Amino acid sequence: MSSASLVGTLLSLTFIKAAPLIYAALGGTLCERAGILNIALEGTLTVSAFAAALGALATGNVLFGAATGIAAAVLFGMFLGLATTRFNVDHIVAGIGLNILAQGATAAALVLIFGQPGTSPEVPSSLGQHGEVALIIIALLLSLLLDRALMRTPWGLRVRACGENPLAVRSAGLDPRAIRLGATLLGSAIVGLGGVYLSLGELNVYSDGMTAGRGFIALAAIILGRWTPLGACGAALLFGAFSALQFILQRAGIPSELMQAIPYLVTLAAISGIGGKARPPAADGVPLEAP
Amino acid sequence: MLLTSANPSETLVQTATLLFPSLAVAFAFRAGLFNIGAEGQLVIGGLFAGIVGAQLSLGPASIPLILLAGLVGGGVWGAIAGIIRSRWEGNEIIATLMLTFLADLLANYLLSSPLRIADAVGSETPLIARSAWLPTMFPHSRLTLALPIGLALAFFLRFLFTRTVIGYELRAVGDAPEAARRAGIDPKRIAFPALAMSGAIAGLGGATIVDGILHRFNTELSPGYGFIAIAVALVGSLEPVQIIAASFLFGALQNGALELQMQAHIPKEIVTCLEGLLIVVLAARRRFSTSAAASA
Repeated sequence: MSSASLVGTLLSLTFIKAAPLIYAALGGTLCERAGILNIALEGTLTVSAFAAALGALATGNVLFGAATGIAAAVLFGMFLGLATTRFNVDHIVAGIGLNILAQGATAAALVLIFGQPGTSPEVPSSLGQHGEVALIIIALLLSLLLDRALMRTPWGLRVRACGENPLAVRSAGLDPRAIRLGATLLGSAIVGLGGVYLSLGELNVYSDGMTAGRGFIALAAIILGRWTPLGACGAALLFGAFSALQFILQRAGIPSELMQAIPYLVTLAAISGIGGKARPPAADGVPLEAP
Repeated sequence: MLLTSANPSETLVQTATLLFPSLAVAFAFRAGLFNIGAEGQLVIGGLFAGIVGAQLSLGPASIPLILLAGLVGGGVWGAIAGIIRSRWEGNEIIATLMLTFLADLLANYLLSSPLRIADAVGSETPLIARSAWLPTMFPHSRLTLALPIGLALAFFLRFLFTRTVIGYELRAVGDAPEAARRAGIDPKRIAFPALAMSGAIAGLGGATIVDGILHRFNTELSPGYGFIAIAVALVGSLEPVQIIAASFLFGALQNGALELQMQAHIPKEIVTCLEGLLIVVLAARRRFSTSAAASA
């Protein structure tokens, strides 16, 4: 393989690997800026990837499948949003519970709906290569858009205020719980695009465990990106590049486990203050007391 | 039907397996620390136990050494999070979570390259010599001494929390960090031993699975016991002896799931769903929070 085509392959592989991470990290960043610590990203990806494949299989229409995937993600996000804003469930506990729920529900649904464990039947009409490329471009544009919306609009200011000082938001006559819930729903919809990408874009099938911890790597990208959409996108691209390089470096004798470990190691370094301390929004994961 | 299962001792096997990581989660929680990485500590404990167990040929005298290896392995993994929390004030929730994935990768790496021994197959360490297996309590049962060890540990932890100075300090930091600070207990200093101990308890659990059930380390060691353990610890109100009862409840659920699948052809994952829901609902009922601890 010539070096030019090698670089091209690596670049395209980077974007292919990064796209679902970008969606999950963007959605998670939005939730966390509003003060909802969302560790259910993995579950959201799983549920939306499954629902997207199910919707596409049921109707034969891939766009309907995508819409089903996003709707499932929003519904799933609503569980997290309501549990944390209305019932004062600890954010981490809710996230862990929902991840377990997502894993169990999709595995059980595979058996009950398709009568086979492990994987769904193949989706006849997936988004195809054009769809995959479109979803990658949308991911990059969405990063810019969300960055502007969060940093430069009144809505963004309110969301960020809920993540820093929700009491001040209440003093200003707004309802921080409603704003947090709204951000969680929108954030989950964005994560859902990542799930759609997995089962209808990169592949055309849903299989158990296909999210492969991407929701947690996205958590790492959020931290490394310092809780900004552009930062999260950059970190996701970096992780995508490492996972693209993995194929080459493995042949050079570098163990693939080391490459896979990089996002987690980088996160440990970031929270330990190496390269500047990563500080989350002040009220990230902090429940709101009843008024 | 859960209790009239064809193999009731299997429920007790699951009870013992869940008891260790659940006590580990509760131990850290009492000190105001959220260890969501019991899963990783359990895996490293099991890995250490598997490696040591495969090397030793001391007969039954190997058993305590194998368990000790698990204790040390899990302890080291917990201690890393402890250092991050104590020294650099890094968030232990994120640290223990990331260390869980690193644990799996480390296990995969060690089994696929330098540790690969002639008779090791793929993702497993060699079989531990039969004489060094953790003894079973009844013939034809998979129930091992893990259960009495876990029960003893639960009572020991209760004693530790209610009757000793270190237990008092741990609880003080967990319940009222500011008051503890004023009383001269440094909450930052406590995080290291608390997470190391918590990890050691989970690691011991991993060792009992390796030496008692699998008789080798296998990368499929745990289907997420460390995460279910968070639910068990909550249901047990973070109190060691109540956690015994909660472990039994979840053990029966897990065993019941297998029976459901085998006898009624209902997918066992339905129970996984139920466990996930239980976690969220119970946390709503208990109304406790990790954020107080995180901001300490």
